[in-house]
Formats: sequence, structure tokens, C-alpha cells
Amino acid sequence: MTRWISPWVVPGAMLAAALAIYPAMALQAAPVLTGLGGLAFVVFIAGQTLPVPGALAWALGLLAIEYLATLELRGATVDVAAPGYGAALFLCAELGWLGLEAKDGGRLWPGRAVAVVLLALLGGALGAVLLFLAAAPLAGGVVLTALGVGAAVAIAACLAWLARS
Amino acid sequence: MSGLGVDAPRGLNPQTHARWATTTSGRLAAYLGLGCAGLLASLLLSRPEPVVLAAPLLLAAAVGLALARPPRLEVEVRLDRDRALAGEQVDLEVVVRALRPVARLEVEVRLPPGLVQLPPAPEPASSLAAGEAYGYHRRLLCCRWGGRLVGDVRMRARDRLGLFTYREEERHLLPLRVYPPPEELRRLVRPAETQAFIGNEVSRLKGEGIEFADIRAFVPGDRVRRINWRASAKRGQLHVNEMRPERNADVVVFLDTFTDLRHPPEGLRTPATFLAPERESSLELAVRAAAALVGLYLRRRDRVGLVGFGGTLRWLRPAMGERQLYRLVDALIDTEVVLSYAWKGLEVIPRRTLPPRALVIALSPLVDERTVSALFDLRSRGYDLAIVEVTAMAFVQPGRREAEKLAYRLWGMEREALRARFLEMGVAVTAWQPGEPFDVALASAGALRRGLRVVR
Repeated sequence: MTRWISPWVVPGAMLAAALAIYPAMALQAAPVLTGLGGLAFVVFIAGQTLPVPGALAWALGLLAIEYLATLELRGATVDVAAPGYGAALFLCAELGWLGLEAKDGGRLWPGRAVAVVLLALLGGALGAVLLFLAAAPLAGGVVLTALGVGAAVAIAACLAWLARS
Repeated sequence: MSGLGVDAPRGLNPQTHARWATTTSGRLAAYLGLGCAGLLASLLLSRPEPVVLAAPLLLAAAVGLALARPPRLEVEVRLDRDRALAGEQVDLEVVVRALRPVARLEVEVRLPPGLVQLPPAPEPASSLAAGEAYGYHRRLLCCRWGGRLVGDVRMRARDRLGLFTYREEERHLLPLRVYPPPEELRRLVRPAETQAFIGNEVSRLKGEGIEFADIRAFVPGDRVRRINWRASAKRGQLHVNEMRPERNADVVVFLDTFTDLRHPPEGLRTPATFLAPERESSLELAVRAAAALVGLYLRRRDRVGLVGFGGTLRWLRPAMGERQLYRLVDALIDTEVVLSYAWKGLEVIPRRTLPPRALVIALSPLVDERTVSALFDLRSRGYDLAIVEVTAMAFVQPGRREAEKLAYRLWGMEREALRARFLEMGVAVTAWQPGEPFDVALASAGALRRGLRVVR
């Protein structure tokens, strides 16, 4: 049965609102960036209620931009809450897509719910490990940057290979 | 899992490597895009946070891609029987056996027209482990007679994260023949002439039999046991009883398949309206009546044949017995209207299909000129003809405007004139209204024939 608004919209929107507010509350983001968070929230709601394909991805991107721009503009040191923010962003994305699938009659099944929660936890843990590694007192340089580029390319290549197989 | 009997008709697909149509969720592209953007942003900004934000998204994409495998399933479709009467219920079971784990599987069986699922509930979804089987049970209501093929199974499987959707359509078609419901008939149209074989019809000719016909004077060669002693004593001369033999008859059911008149739609067709006799189309009524007629005539040891006169000509030569009954009913339930503009007459009917001295019972709305002409032709050739007219006017609304009402009345008068022409030729035409028992129409035809002088 096709529905205009699914029950997943409310928790998804609440999580999106929390993610949009967090940089302003915790990191004292500039009003412009808070406005960017508000825009991300509006786009998220539009993606859930209007037939706008791709709006959800844009909303997630805007939320991430708001967070990262706040960090960059404030020149803050490493934010230890970043893994939690990343896990919440992933959960928000999943809730958003569940809302979209529910419009076409899709449902959440227990296996998928467990997998999503586990992935959020694992993703957060992975982020924490990465953050811990980033905090290691290593001097930067061309070699290290090249290694980073190589790692990024390797990750993209692995995903492409998985997608092909 | 309550299964159907081992003798139940079943369709099994030995090919388990089905070609699944795969669709990818937009999530995968979004996660990959955002993840790669995070990696790039991390390099550009020289900050770890973009990678940290991208980590769950990339992890989900990687896990989803690594775990995604098209399902491998064995599908078996079973019906509890392959024959049913209209109005009866049939159990359908679809057994799906997974050769590879399936996170979520939805099975839908597309039903052909005339079959309705009871109750009309959405198909449940299930997850299957490797080697696990699941049975989807459905009860089907046979709403309309006809030959059906059941087993168009559509499956939709999802991977564990819902990133991929696999769709597959498999056809394990099982035949299900739905016969018209039995019609109670108390009397039949009696044929004017009988054939040579023994049957239940009292012949008009005199011969060996048990039905008394007349008495006549004794002639040498008459059997002594035939002497009517009382009449002989009264008349002072030997008289013998004459008897009428019981013979069978040749009956041909002439089914008009040029036209199928239907009632105007009144909302959605529910199982109740499907089964309502007053909502049946003219062809549905005619086929139900024909099935009842052939069954009863064959039980009387008559030879019964069938002519489906329409866009395609279908015929069965007259024969008797149980096998002929099945042949006739199978032919009847395959009856359908085929549009044709070609003029057709009696010459297209094979000669032996209409044997001499056969009683022809026509079931027709008498709307198509070709049928009307063929029936006149039949009578002109001396066939004993009775027509049960499935009243066409019952299927048409008179309209609201005066002109429409006038046209309706004129059409009714035309039809009256047509019936009068048949009556003049010694053909009994009786009108059968939808919703009225066929027995009433048949009794009316019998009464009309008694008043007519049926001659060759």
C-alpha cells in the first residue's frame, strides 16, 4: 500500500534535527552554518514527503558539510564525538531510506534492523580507531600524504571490485 | 507445514539457477559517493573527521557488497486437485526451498481470471536458511468455469542490508479445469423421432417394447403372449396388443458462440457477484445450461453431440457414454467468443455432426444474424429444432430518453417477430431470463412443443 508519510519519518527527522543542531550547540557554529543545518533538515523532510529522488543523499551531505565546516572554521582540534556523529549520520540515513521504502510497501525485517544497528556500532568503533590513529604524534609529510591517497584509492578500488563481482 | 496429498498435481522446476533481475538501492550509490567524498575531504582538509564520518557508510557498502548473492531457490507448485466445480474452493501450495540463505523472500502467485484468493491477504515475507523450505498456502475460489493454468509465481528477494532486490518470475503452470455448477433438471425436451438403439425414449413407432400403443386384429405370426384376451372376448375375434419400443435419440446441442452479452458493470466484481447467476453473461448461462443438458441426455442413453457455432467452429459428433460426457464438458468449458466478420452457414458443419432425425437444441441470444440464419436453415432441412433464447433484452438497459426507450421497444418487437417466424416453422422458442432456473425455460419449451406440430 502506498503511503505519503511513513512511520519512519518522525525518528529520522528527529535524528536529522539533532545532527543539525549539534554543531551549533556543542561547537558554537556560525549562524550561516546553522542555517546550512536547517537547510539540510528541510531537504531531509522534503525527501521523505515529496517525490524528489536524491534529496536524502543531499541532506546527508549538507549535514556532514555543516559539521566539518564548523570544525574547520573554528580551527578546533580533533573532535572526539566524531565517531558518534558518524554513527548517528548512518542511522539517520537508514531511517530516511526506510521511510522511502515504506512508501512503496517495504518493511523493516528483524535481520535488517540487527544488521543496521551492528553496522552503526561497528562504524562508530572503526571511526574511533581511526581517530585514535590520527591522534598519534607523527610528523606529516609527502610520504604520509601519499600513503593516505593510496589508502583512499585502495578503498575505492576495493568497493568497485566488490560491486563488479 | 501441512502439505497436500502426494497425488496432488504439482509443477517442479528442475532449473534452480534462475535468472534474477537485480535492482540496486539508491543507498549503495549514496553511501559510496558520500564515503569517497569523505576520503577526499579528509585529504584536502588534513583532518581525520571526514574519514570518521565516512567510515560507517563505507563499512555498510562494503559489507552489503560482500554479502550480496542472488538467491538459489527450488520452487514447487501444488494444487489439491485439477478439476473443480465453479463455486468450489481449491488449495494451492507453493513450496520454496532455499539452496542458499535468503534474508527476505516474498512470493506472489498471479492468478488467472476466474480464480480469486480467499481471503485476499498480502503475501507474507520470510527469511530462509540454506536447505530450509517454506510453504505458501492459499485457498482459491473458482468463480467462473473454464480451463485455467495456475502457477505463475513471482518472487522478490532482498539481501541482508536491503541494498539489492532480486526479482524472478517462474511459471510452473498446472492445469485446473473448472466445470459449470450442476443444474437441476427435472424434465427434458423430448425428441420427435428416435433412433434404432435401446434407450429411455418411448418411440412413436410400434414394435417390441413394454409401453402399450394400440390393439389390432391377430394375424398369423403374432405371438400368443401378445393376444389381448379381454378385447378378443368382447369382439369375438383375436386381437393383439401393439407396443411402443424404448429407443434412444440423437441430441445435438447447438451453442451460439458468436455473441456474449454481459451486464453493465456495477462496481467491483467480488466473489459474490462473480457467482451470482443473475450477473452471468449470456455465454456463461448457455454453457451452464448446455452442461446440464448433455449430462441428463447421456444418462438417458441418448447420443449427444455439440456444435459451437461462432467465430471458430467447434463440434463433437454424437456419441453416448461416460467418456462422451467428459469430452463434451471439456469442450464446453473451453468455449469462448472469437471475433469474426466472416459469414458462416450450416455448410461449415461436418455432415456427421448433425445426423438425420436428431433433436437440435439451440442455446442462443438470437442476436447474430449468422446464427439466426443457420437455425432457419436447420429447420428448413427438416431437423427437429428447439431454441432456448438467452434473453438479450435483459442485458440491455432501455435508456432514459424517449428516443432510446422507443428504440428499445422497437427492438423488442423485432425480437417478438423473429420468435413468431420460428413458431410458424414449428420451432419452439422459449425465453430464458438470467436468474431464472433453466428447468423453467426447458419445461416451457417442452410445453410449447406439445402444442406445435413438429413435422419433418
